[in-house]
Amino acid sequence: MEAMPENDLGLESHLSVKVIGLGGGGSNVLAGISTERFPQVEYAVVNTDAQALAQSPISKKVLLGRSVTRGLGAGGDPSIGHKAVETDRAVLEDLIAGADLLILVTGLGGGTGTVAAALIAELAAKTDALVLTFATQPFTFEGSRRREVATSGMAELRGMLHGLIPVPNDLLLQETDESETALSAFAVADEWIGRGIHSICALLFETGIINQDFGALRNLLQGRGGKTIFATGAATGGDYMQDALSDLMDCPLLHTTERPSRLDRILVHLTAGPEMGLSKMQQVMTQISAQFESTEEIIFGAVIDPARTESLEICLIAKVELESTGSAAEAGGNQRAREPMEIEGGLGLETAIGSEKEKPAVHESKLLKKKKKAETDQDEFLFVDLEAQRGYFDQTAKNLYNNEDLDVPTYLRRGIKIKLKA
Amino acid sequence: MSQPRVVAAVEIGTSKIAVLLGKLEGNTNMEIVGHSLSTSKGVKKGEIRDLRAVSDCVHSALGSAESKASQRIDEVYLALSGRHLEGNFNVGTATVSDAAGWVRQIDIDQAKTDAKRRELPEDRSYIHHIQNPFRLDGKPVESPLEQEGQRLEVGYWSVHADTAQVRNCLRIISGYGMEVSDIVISSLASGVILAEESEKNAGVLVIDIGGGTTDWVLYRGGFVVRTGVIAVGGDHITNDLSAGLRIGRKRAEQIKLENGRAYYESGDRNEKVWLIGDYTIGDKELPKAAVTRIIEARVNEIFEIVKSEIKQAGFYDPAEIASGVILTGGTARLEGLDQIAERVLGLSVRFADFDPGIDSELRKPEYTTVIGLLDYALQGQEHTQDKHTGGGILGGLFDILGISRREGAL
Repeated sequence: MEAMPENDLGLESHLSVKVIGLGGGGSNVLAGISTERFPQVEYAVVNTDAQALAQSPISKKVLLGRSVTRGLGAGGDPSIGHKAVETDRAVLEDLIAGADLLILVTGLGGGTGTVAAALIAELAAKTDALVLTFATQPFTFEGSRRREVATSGMAELRGMLHGLIPVPNDLLLQETDESETALSAFAVADEWIGRGIHSICALLFETGIINQDFGALRNLLQGRGGKTIFATGAATGGDYMQDALSDLMDCPLLHTTERPSRLDRILVHLTAGPEMGLSKMQQVMTQISAQFESTEEIIFGAVIDPARTESLEICLIAKVELESTGSAAEAGGNQRAREPMEIEGGLGLETAIGSEKEKPAVHESKLLKKKKKAETDQDEFLFVDLEAQRGYFDQTAKNLYNNEDLDVPTYLRRGIKIKLKA
Repeated sequence: MSQPRVVAAVEIGTSKIAVLLGKLEGNTNMEIVGHSLSTSKGVKKGEIRDLRAVSDCVHSALGSAESKASQRIDEVYLALSGRHLEGNFNVGTATVSDAAGWVRQIDIDQAKTDAKRRELPEDRSYIHHIQNPFRLDGKPVESPLEQEGQRLEVGYWSVHADTAQVRNCLRIISGYGMEVSDIVISSLASGVILAEESEKNAGVLVIDIGGGTTDWVLYRGGFVVRTGVIAVGGDHITNDLSAGLRIGRKRAEQIKLENGRAYYESGDRNEKVWLIGDYTIGDKELPKAAVTRIIEARVNEIFEIVKSEIKQAGFYDPAEIASGVILTGGTARLEGLDQIAERVLGLSVRFADFDPGIDSELRKPEYTTVIGLLDYALQGQEHTQDKHTGGGILGGLFDILGISRREGAL
């Protein structure tokens, strides 16, 4: 492992990151997260339900709207949630004060989480904090009312946040074993979000071979609105490099309703055991670049975790600006007149690694940027074809029958698990 | 009409455009003189989404059929499908006016007019008024004329469409310099050719699963009692496979065609399917169970919906659908589709077979609808009265659309 330049380390340690679980769903996710790995990060849970808060292992607890709900929760009603949350604006203001990055976790479809997320986003606009939100979407079997609340909540949040990462439970159900119940599918969502939060923290706080800083994350997520995608893949032992890669490409979160046909900016972060040298890292990055060829910009970060052996975890966060998606992009037009910024040495990795000791790390993110003109040949591009749950029908009117959209694959709506590996 | 005329039957499907040319001599003889089947673009779930692209496809299909047949098309019959098609069942009544209680033609007309009186919102247009049995004082009668009774009733299954969709279809054909003589919904066109008269009398359900839609028609006692469209077809199977197997559409389509089966069986767990099949880099093995489970879920759902729609209409009675189910459409090629249809619908199921008189090249499920359309055109010559009101409905449609009909044939 290479040592980090002093100045950069100093900077990073002042970074304030707060992870906040909102409502019942968000609090549950935080309950399952290990908070020891990143002592720099502050964790908090926010709810209108006093009893649920009391049960949370997170020590920082914020009860909202006691005067409205008497601490009994919003009962799944967003209008009650709204009143409750509004009465405690000041409390939330205090909670987020001083944060550079807010990672919010909420379940969509309930009464508290979504409205609290919206209010925090509004307050954060004044403090200039970067807001990234993981939002779980209810299962189809939870009923149409919950789904409607979730859909409108999502639409409300979309424009307010720098990054909104939808986590559809229907999709994650696919990741559980056949014998498992729906309850364990909830647990899967929690685990996935936990992995995501850890990767972002690792990116910001752990020093590694290729360092990315908060600036890179801010750059990636710049601008409110747009679509944000998060995916992760991991493997240990055997052909762990290839396995982790295919695990990433199979990640169900790359296949959500919100996934557009092209990604604008991708940040890829690798966490590997010490035996994984630079050349292997480079191989992995080359392969990832090939998978996301039509993406305009790919930024890599990598850290070595001495606790791992023969193990690789890949995390991917991608952002899409909404105006670049849709029919214009589909028609093959590349409207943006962005100059392709090719750098010498293919990926530019060698340059970056070779110069690591001489140059401050902060420049390396720039060196590692890979800009390409967008290509829209979808059939050649494995990833792009993995459209949304509605996929091919993405741009068409919803095909509603008994409140279900028939364009969404039946197996997902029915919770039929599809095993891709024997 | 003494001059032979060439009638083109056209189906603008989601995945295919089918054109069939029939030469009509006299009023009873139709000879098939040309056909073409080409890839459709700009149609999803049976509805036109890109008028320009669809237009180009249809025009080249018409051109190719004309040149293969060395004949010019005189008129066009068009099949219509899509989620926008809906229907109502309306009953019209008349009190027998004759003092002696004999039903006269005027009473029949009165009941019929009454049944069709329901007005539609501006953006909807009637395509068919399909007559169901007469009832005289509550008892079904085949022909009420000169029968004795007081109260005459007649039911109509009236199918209506989104006016904009119909307008687009007419525009496409008029862009080729042709006019549309009649529009027939796809389910009806398929049903007319696939079900025997005896089957229609005994009760039969014809299900046509195409690329973007599933069109069905239910006959009972010789009448079309219900039709329906579900905007789900083979494209959905492909999309489901693409999402579930994390592969592109092309490969999903290939896997569907080569390794697809409509139902899952336990042996699939140990069987493998190659993604690409050419041993190149990136090829991988998938358990067949993943493929068949995804397809089964979708196909099962299609039949469940058909069943529940028939149930809701009050017609799900296996004894009254004694001739069972006839399956057709491109998706009917899927292995085992009949077995899952049988399981879900609880009816005997067979695949469509073709009249031995039909050219072997035309014996494809993709041609079923247009063959039926030509049959429709032929029948229309024999009795142009109230069956589908000849120019009646379409005349009205043209009025609505503000398109003038060309007078006489060229």
